[in-house]
Amino acid sequence: MKQHLGRQSGVQNVEVSLIDGKVEITPQEDGQIDPVHLMKATYDSGVSVAEIDMTARGKIVTDSSGNLAIQVAPNQSFAIAPNQLSKSLESLAGSQIEVTVRGQLYKKPAGKKKAEPSNPLKLLILEVQKKE
Amino acid sequence: MKRKLALLLLAGCVSVPQLKAQIKHIEMRVEGMT
Repeated sequence: MKQHLGRQSGVQNVEVSLIDGKVEITPQEDGQIDPVHLMKATYDSGVSVAEIDMTARGKIVTDSSGNLAIQVAPNQSFAIAPNQLSKSLESLAGSQIEVTVRGQLYKKPAGKKKAEPSNPLKLLILEVQKKE
Repeated sequence: MKRKLALLLLAGCVSVPQLKAQIKHIEMRVEGMT
C-alpha cells in the first residue's frame, strides 16, 4: 500500500503505522494532491478507509449555492460542512485572508464494510489553526 | 544597505512558497491492513 500510494500524483512521502492503522501522507511542496484519488488507491491496495483527516491552507469562498468552501488551489476546493467552527470562517468568505484548518474529510458510516465517499467530500472543520 | 535589502528580498522569496494555499497533510485511518 505504501508503494502504491507513493506512486500517486502529488505525493511526496507516505508513512504507514501497522499498529494503529494510520497512514500519513505528505504532499509535494508544489504538487496537487487529490484525497478522493488517494482513497480509491487505498481501496485498490486491498484495505478500506475508515477516516480521512486533512490539514490545508487556503481562502474561504462561497460556491454557486452559497455554501462555504476552502480553496486550496485555483482549480481545487472543498465544501465545508457547517458546524460551530465553520461559522467563525463565514466572515472571511471572499476576502484575501488565508486560513490553515484541520478537518475531517471522510468518515466511514458505522456498520458498513465499505462505503463509497459522497462526492464531493465535505470538510468538517475540527480546528482553525491560523488566519493570515 | 543594498546588500541587506537584497538579502531581505531573497528571504522573502524563500518563505513565500511555504505560505501558499495547498493541502499540507493528509492522515487516513484504514482497516484490514496486515
